[in-house]
Amino acid sequence: MKVVALISGGKDSCYNMMQCVKNGHEVVALANLTPADGEDELDSYMYQSVGTKALPIYAEAMGLPLYQDKILGTPVDTRMEYTPSENDEVEDLYRLLKRIRHEIFFDAISVGAIFSDYQRIRCESVCQRLGIEMLAYLWHRDQNQLLHEMVDSGVEAIIIKTAAMGLSQKHLGLTLAEILPDMLHLNEKYGLNICGEGGEFESFTLDCPLFKKKIVIDEMEQVIDSRDAFSPVTFLRLKKLHAESKCMNER
Amino acid sequence: MVNFTVDEIRALMNKKKNIRNMSVIAHVDHGKSTLTDSLVSKAGIIAGAKAGETRFTDTRKDEQERCITIKSTAVSMYFELAEKDLAFIKGEDQVEKGIKGFLINLIDSPGHVDFSSEVTAALRVTDGALVVVDCVSGVCVQTETVLRQAIAERIKPVLFMNKMDLALLTLQLEAEDLYQGFQRIVENINVIISTYGDETGPMGDLKVDPAKGSVGFGSGLHGWAFTLKQFAEIYSGKFNIDIEKLMNKLWGENFYNPQTKKWNKTQGEGYKRAFTMFVLDPIYKIFDAIMNYKKEEAARLIEKLNIKLKGEDKDKEGKDLLKVVMRTWLPAGDAMFEMITIHLPSPITAQRYRMELLYEGPQDDEAAKGIKDCNPEAPLMMYVSKMVPTSDKGRFYAFGRVFSGVVTSGQKVRIMGPNFVYGKKEDLAEKNIQRTVLMMGRYVEPIEDVPCGNICGLVGVDQFLVKTGTISTFKDSHNMRVMKFSVSPVVRVAVEPKNPADLPKLVEGLKRLAKSDPMVQCIIEESGEHIVAGAGELHLEICLKDLEEDHAGIPLKKTDPVVSYRESVSEESDITCLSKSPNKHNRLFMKATPMAEGLSDDIDKGDVNPRDDFKARARVLVEKYEWDTTEARKIWAFGPEGTGPNLLVDVTKGVQYLNEIKDSVVAGFQWATKESVLCDENMRGVRFNIHDVTLHADAIHRGGGQIIPTARRCLYACLLTGQPRLMEPVYLVEVQCPENAVGGIYGVLNRRRGHVIEESQVAGTPMFIVKAYLPVNESFGFTADLRSNTGGQAFPQCVFDHWQILPGDPLDGKSRPHQIVMETRKRKGLKEALPELDNYLDKM
Repeated sequence: MKVVALISGGKDSCYNMMQCVKNGHEVVALANLTPADGEDELDSYMYQSVGTKALPIYAEAMGLPLYQDKILGTPVDTRMEYTPSENDEVEDLYRLLKRIRHEIFFDAISVGAIFSDYQRIRCESVCQRLGIEMLAYLWHRDQNQLLHEMVDSGVEAIIIKTAAMGLSQKHLGLTLAEILPDMLHLNEKYGLNICGEGGEFESFTLDCPLFKKKIVIDEMEQVIDSRDAFSPVTFLRLKKLHAESKCMNER
Repeated sequence: MVNFTVDEIRALMNKKKNIRNMSVIAHVDHGKSTLTDSLVSKAGIIAGAKAGETRFTDTRKDEQERCITIKSTAVSMYFELAEKDLAFIKGEDQVEKGIKGFLINLIDSPGHVDFSSEVTAALRVTDGALVVVDCVSGVCVQTETVLRQAIAERIKPVLFMNKMDLALLTLQLEAEDLYQGFQRIVENINVIISTYGDETGPMGDLKVDPAKGSVGFGSGLHGWAFTLKQFAEIYSGKFNIDIEKLMNKLWGENFYNPQTKKWNKTQGEGYKRAFTMFVLDPIYKIFDAIMNYKKEEAARLIEKLNIKLKGEDKDKEGKDLLKVVMRTWLPAGDAMFEMITIHLPSPITAQRYRMELLYEGPQDDEAAKGIKDCNPEAPLMMYVSKMVPTSDKGRFYAFGRVFSGVVTSGQKVRIMGPNFVYGKKEDLAEKNIQRTVLMMGRYVEPIEDVPCGNICGLVGVDQFLVKTGTISTFKDSHNMRVMKFSVSPVVRVAVEPKNPADLPKLVEGLKRLAKSDPMVQCIIEESGEHIVAGAGELHLEICLKDLEEDHAGIPLKKTDPVVSYRESVSEESDITCLSKSPNKHNRLFMKATPMAEGLSDDIDKGDVNPRDDFKARARVLVEKYEWDTTEARKIWAFGPEGTGPNLLVDVTKGVQYLNEIKDSVVAGFQWATKESVLCDENMRGVRFNIHDVTLHADAIHRGGGQIIPTARRCLYACLLTGQPRLMEPVYLVEVQCPENAVGGIYGVLNRRRGHVIEESQVAGTPMFIVKAYLPVNESFGFTADLRSNTGGQAFPQCVFDHWQILPGDPLDGKSRPHQIVMETRKRKGLKEALPELDNYLDKM
């Protein structure tokens, strides 16, 4: 199948894309929704937003076209079930995919959801209306096993946002391999999701086997967003990046 | 002293109906240890070179020097009841048919309030209590405290009126006055018993009654004692009245006319109170004759009373002769042991009604049944109530009572600490018991095994328990209930080694100290300070001395003592506090309100507790504290530690998924109530109402990592918006002194923010008793101050009584509470600024 990959820049959307390829599908384009200008972090129920500004570089690394729209809607229908509602952020996704369909052919989307029924139900609603399939290979995988697998299969991603008890700015910039022991510990202690599926953390992929080039961060800054005394929301603003050829470094 | 081999003792241990496990409890200086000595010298089992030395149970040097008991000590004794007296023992579980010998395990415990945690530990392993009261001073504050504890633990009391020698020799009380004094003490004791006991409960009526023989009289110092039974035996033949009937006549409003030889219920012309006439008169006559050197009179009396003196004793005079005569006539040991064996319960009797209080598991599992029946064939259940230092430094005997089964050297057991929860692995170890030992005063004797109903020590368990725990062979065993102390560690000091290189020794020493004392807490603050917390100044002094000289063995620097505080609210939060989860998709709305007066205390006492049936508990809250019925049934948690005096209540109306976040909110609540927002102290008396929550529809987005910190923040915001207050601990002080010193006491108390609540004269003496409340914070150096202001005539006893609000707003930079908050934050290494509400409160 021809697949448009929904990406946030994070590890899950990237790893699911790898699974699509592994299963014989072809990724033809990348799609993403990003906050309106001047906003880094937005408490969307659907979309990761930290790091989406850097996605053009990500697309360059993948060597694929990127279709990116602004998030205009807000979470309107926040029940588990979803009824298409005007001005809901889900409709932004619907519009984006519809727009892509005018330009290129595809019959499936790649979605990195693991456990969030909320997100799955909404993606399904969009797919159903467009008559396309949803490929979510990570769905209901064991998170512990999955994170190990990602590390082993060469997904190089760093933590760019934290929002849960036990996580703080000291975790920003860690690689998946580095944060893994902490996540296992916090999972035991407070029931955190090891893959950050509950919004505990977000990541940004710098390299993976699908990348033709790798991403290098030139400049970034730490932002402490909340004055929450115990679980401050912290994130990295990626200010300047570039993609560079991989063979250069593998010399 | 009887000489028994360990094998012989072991044989006695099987005769469970002939065992009495008892503690001796009393106010400080009422003569427990001296009285115990007179029992030990009569019947102690293991003879040794030191036998007969005074204060047998005071095993420590400082105990002997200070003449106070600091640690409770166990000693086993053997007593043979006379054949005729076996009939007095009521109940078939109270004596093995036809066996006269009794094994009596006695625990002498400290009387000073600062050490009452030792009393608690002693009570847990015994079934009966000998309550010793100085018949001159009467019932004092600590008498009441320990008796109340005993009753709460279902320990049956008998009473002993001590220091009669003092009443007769020094105070020269008239017989009728002395009787009235006795009568008053009996009444006071019975008032306490009926206040805290339940006459319709499984133990029946616990009141003590001289006419039943459950009250003894005498002098521990002089070694004589009696109950009315002894005198009834003397006169029974003369009046041809049955002993038990006569005992009734020898107490209370019973009068006898020697001329007409008639009994009467009122004191008419020619009638004399039977107790004074038949009991006190002979004693008074002997005292008078001997102390006033009326030799012929004395000789006549000695002969009349059939007292056989040994050769050398005949030549004695005065007080020495008096002691010998009284001791020979009314030997303390016989009277006391009779009272103990007849009136205190055997383990079989006691464990039947104590089981439901002792065992936390299902009341019909194997362990429960084993305890209830005191069955040696059942699985092992043993409660370790304290740790006793061994001669091997840093190692401890685990001291406790076997309630079911048999504990054996080498046996593989489950060792469960107080934090063990059934079905989990925390605070649980499976290990072998290295050895079992008998604890005998200052000696231990190895023993192969010990069956239920007995007290013993274990070697090799100390590494796995901090202070107390349950030992069992039953794989589905729950814990035995943790002991509730009547005092709390409210006074604390920080310690550090004089030589910084000694830090590891200090850390090790603190661990040992924590083990060796049931109450002391050794804490490391976030600042890295090492804190030792104890019940009072004396307790801390002893603990620190032990730490310095024994446990750590290094010179220490100590800070001045400081007290613990509690954080509370004085008003309902002025806004409904909102906190959002880190992912912003969950919101909690809560408010704090102060709990009704008395409810915190009821929770502390366990009258309102998390284990109650929620409907029964709700009924109490509705009736006593005017709660709304629906809300009273929706208490989510007590905290801190799941049992503390703060409540989390769900007052929401129809919120989706609410129960799914309950565990996380409760976890946040436990955390917040343990380390509150102002200065990291516990909270007290705060009720938190959850008014509303909005949650992410998908469970994955509302896990513990999201909800726990949010709950904690929201609770802190509630506290900060509810007119927060600090609470300080307050002592009840009881001071005994002559009248001329009373003025000095008032002066000292006034200077220290104390206030007098009661002043009364001890009937029949020139002594006054002043009761007052004194903030613990003002109590340091109080004893010394008081002595210097009263010419050394006033002796205070301070016992923790309650928490009171320290007036002033801690958020006001100029107030006293604010100053305390800042000092505490600094000491604990927290940021030296008031926490800002914005850190906890979110905007819609």
